[in-house]
Amino acid sequence: MILSIAWRNIWRNKVRSITIMLSIALGLFSGLLVLSLYQGMMNSRIRSVIESEVGHIQLHHPKFKNDYEPEFVIKRGEDILNQISKLPEVKFVAPRSISMGMLSTANGTAGVQINGVVPGLENNISQLKSKIQEGDDFDTLKRNQIMIGRKLAGKLKVRRGSRVVLTFTDPAGEIIAGAFKIRAIYKSENTQLDESYVFIMKNDLNRLLNIDPDFHEIVILLHHNEDVKPVNQKLKKIFSSLRSETWMEISPETELMTKTVDQYSYIIMIIIMMALAFGIINTMLMAILERTREIGMMLALGTNRLRIFLLVLYETVILTLAGTPFGLFASWLLISYFNKQGLDLSYLGSTEMLNNFGFGTMIYPEFPKEKLSGIVIIVIGTALISSLFPALKAIRMQPVDALRK
Amino acid sequence: MDTVIDAHNISKVYNRNTIPVYAVNNVHLHLNRGEFTALVGPSGSGKTTLLNMIGGLDKPDEGNIFINGQDITALSANELIDFRLRNIGFVFQSFNLIPVLTAKENVEFIMQLQKMDKKDRDERVLQLFQQIEMVDKLDERPSRLSGGQQQRVAVARALATKPQFILADEPTANLDSKSASNLLDIMAKLNKEENITFLFSTHDQRVIDRARRVITLVDGRIINDTAAVSTAHQQA
Repeated sequence: MILSIAWRNIWRNKVRSITIMLSIALGLFSGLLVLSLYQGMMNSRIRSVIESEVGHIQLHHPKFKNDYEPEFVIKRGEDILNQISKLPEVKFVAPRSISMGMLSTANGTAGVQINGVVPGLENNISQLKSKIQEGDDFDTLKRNQIMIGRKLAGKLKVRRGSRVVLTFTDPAGEIIAGAFKIRAIYKSENTQLDESYVFIMKNDLNRLLNIDPDFHEIVILLHHNEDVKPVNQKLKKIFSSLRSETWMEISPETELMTKTVDQYSYIIMIIIMMALAFGIINTMLMAILERTREIGMMLALGTNRLRIFLLVLYETVILTLAGTPFGLFASWLLISYFNKQGLDLSYLGSTEMLNNFGFGTMIYPEFPKEKLSGIVIIVIGTALISSLFPALKAIRMQPVDALRK
Repeated sequence: MDTVIDAHNISKVYNRNTIPVYAVNNVHLHLNRGEFTALVGPSGSGKTTLLNMIGGLDKPDEGNIFINGQDITALSANELIDFRLRNIGFVFQSFNLIPVLTAKENVEFIMQLQKMDKKDRDERVLQLFQQIEMVDKLDERPSRLSGGQQQRVAVARALATKPQFILADEPTANLDSKSASNLLDIMAKLNKEENITFLFSTHDQRVIDRARRVITLVDGRIINDTAAVSTAHQQA
């Protein structure tokens, strides 16, 4: 009956109760919106890392990544590519030859990572073609074409059709230089990469390095993110002479960022709920003070203090939980809308800043389903903590004093 | 006769450290089962304080109170709550029903606290509402009942757990004559038929006229007790 009294007490002052329920709904709505934005940004960053930069898994010669020495190639690379492409979990696979070098123009020089790619295969992995802002995709019949990032082009004051010189060392340690014509200028969501990654055709780089038909890197894109670890294990067993790494190992900063943002999002939620807790405490204290005489009477009749405590606790929890579905539903509705339509943050004038951190400006907020249990625990925790002060106030009443009020 | 209430030398003092004010001063009170007693006196004479102490709502600064032989002044606050639930029925001046519960639920509430099972509760509620002649108002909320009806429900609630006695603090103070008369009829009937002990504090002459024993309190002291007078007459 205590639960029934608690439920009915809530409706004694409808306006007050509805106001507090709406505050809880609004707090939850705001919290979930922030969480979904973070989640959307992080998913977009992970997608960008996987689909535009490193793929799900990469294979190299075990020593290649120590100093990016061109001599450490993957031998019989074509056979390995064929084997990998036959794995059912694999969506696309592509080879890359890589060299560290200098890009020189009449206006200056810059240190770059030269990526030798097979255009048809690379476009499946990093969607290079779709990032072209100016110019065209590689013409496979022509030699010595290069694609450079918008940021680097601006820095070196070059444009489509400009000539540049790439200088790097071959496996024997000899310095090689090659003149290239800018075929296209691309722009990705990661300004740092745009400034340091240049793309040429694998055949051109292999010829200059004299490593044909080998190459340095195999990039793999899978059908499903959750297959990353098992497929990586499988590849490690099959190609034990190569180093197989997942995107989390290749880009540990992205994983760290995801985890940090996860923690921040919970902290934001807790801050919102703490602010709400004061509203709940205030409302419940008012309700208790208005009912001093009634509580005194219940104590006089023989209602023990635990039951009085539970009465206040139930009222607070019901108030809080009643607001929760509204907050969840409203946020789900809005987040689902923006998940389909996308939320363009470029209107906030933060494109440059977001790109510098490797984030795109178009965010697709995602309802944080996997965090729901954590959120509900935070909400219930808030309700329980908020009820403590009013409940203690109620049980400390002396019936003889309370009845005089 | 069975002794229900036995208060020895009880006093309640306010402002003990400055100018002491005795709300109740060295009172002896002895009530037997089945008595129908009015505690009368002017405002501030200590009636409510004495009633609160007998009901275990307040503790005396001096003296002891025995209810059915148990010294309630020795009980802790939590033990007193349980003692009140099992032994004492209260009827307050301003009705004091739980407003969100129906008349039936108000009476049932106290039985639920005693963990009485549903079947026994239903039977007892029906019996009590027949006694207060309000069977047709079982499902009404207090706000839809008159003052007299609310006070009758309060009496039913006080009787619900079959207490040792009922303490009623000015039960007719907020009632019109007809309602007050009805309430007194019901209480007198319960006293007569079920031998329930009643102790009222009152100003109301109608209650005093119906009481079989009248105790007069002035400045915290008993100055007259009709039972003592009649005993003295008998002894003479």
